[in-house]
Amino acid sequence: MKPEDQRLSSEQVGSIVKMLGLTRDREFNCSECLQHVGEFAECQLTGKPVDEVIASVEQHLALCPECREEFEALLKILKSE
Amino acid sequence: MTHTEINWPAALRATDAAEQGVAVRALRDVLQNGLRIALNGRGGVSEAHLEDFAQESLLRVLDRLDQFQGRSKFTTWAQAIALNVAFTELRRKRWQDVSLDALMADGERLTDPAMIPDDVLGADEDRTRLVVALRHAIENGLTPKQRAAMLGELREIPFDQIVELLGSSRSAAYKMLHDARRALKQRLHEAGITGADIQNAFNL
Repeated sequence: MKPEDQRLSSEQVGSIVKMLGLTRDREFNCSECLQHVGEFAECQLTGKPVDEVIASVEQHLALCPECREEFEALLKILKSE
Repeated sequence: MTHTEINWPAALRATDAAEQGVAVRALRDVLQNGLRIALNGRGGVSEAHLEDFAQESLLRVLDRLDQFQGRSKFTTWAQAIALNVAFTELRRKRWQDVSLDALMADGERLTDPAMIPDDVLGADEDRTRLVVALRHAIENGLTPKQRAAMLGELREIPFDQIVELLGSSRSAAYKMLHDARRALKQRLHEAGITGADIQNAFNL
């Protein structure tokens, strides 16, 4: 990799800083998110109010691009039903 | 009977082998159809891949049946697991040649001003101060593994790949990254930069 390719972009540095702004002392990890992401997706589609558990899913999705990618794919499936 | 009318947990646990077999086959079809929709248009994913992902997902779902709490529809819960299985595998293939040595060496460069220039977020004083404080926090507040894992995430290396390279578990690696973010936040706080400052600067 060339030195200029190693340098972090403003988006990458910005994402570190944003993640710090969203960091909480207690957070869901990916496994906990996976356990509850289905309920969060159904809440999103039906407008059902979110409780504390579901709010933790939302917070994890803001920090984890992989879980967010899977959540968006899940929404795609649910919308097709 | 349509799949929305099935009591899935009961059917999948049925002691009658024929009844259980019907439910297992029906669930595999539901998962495979969902994956086909989710992965439609994604290059390199064939019908054979979908079959493999669905079969692996089915085994994962059956293994975790006791974890289903009924807070969503059963099929929604199972589809989330299937997507996790499929995306994990697809990401792994893309990054299979990355080595731990390369990841650790890349992580060590995170403290280099050439890697994170002072003005990367803009030349104004507040943002420059934030970047300098962040670089110092990365240098003094994180372990080499934390730096490597954080950079791996920024390079969009799949989390499972990072976990594997570090010889860790998913939970332990997530905790390590969570601890890293908390440590950085604390260091920034000590430098006079609060979470509210960050949120205001980025409209979070």
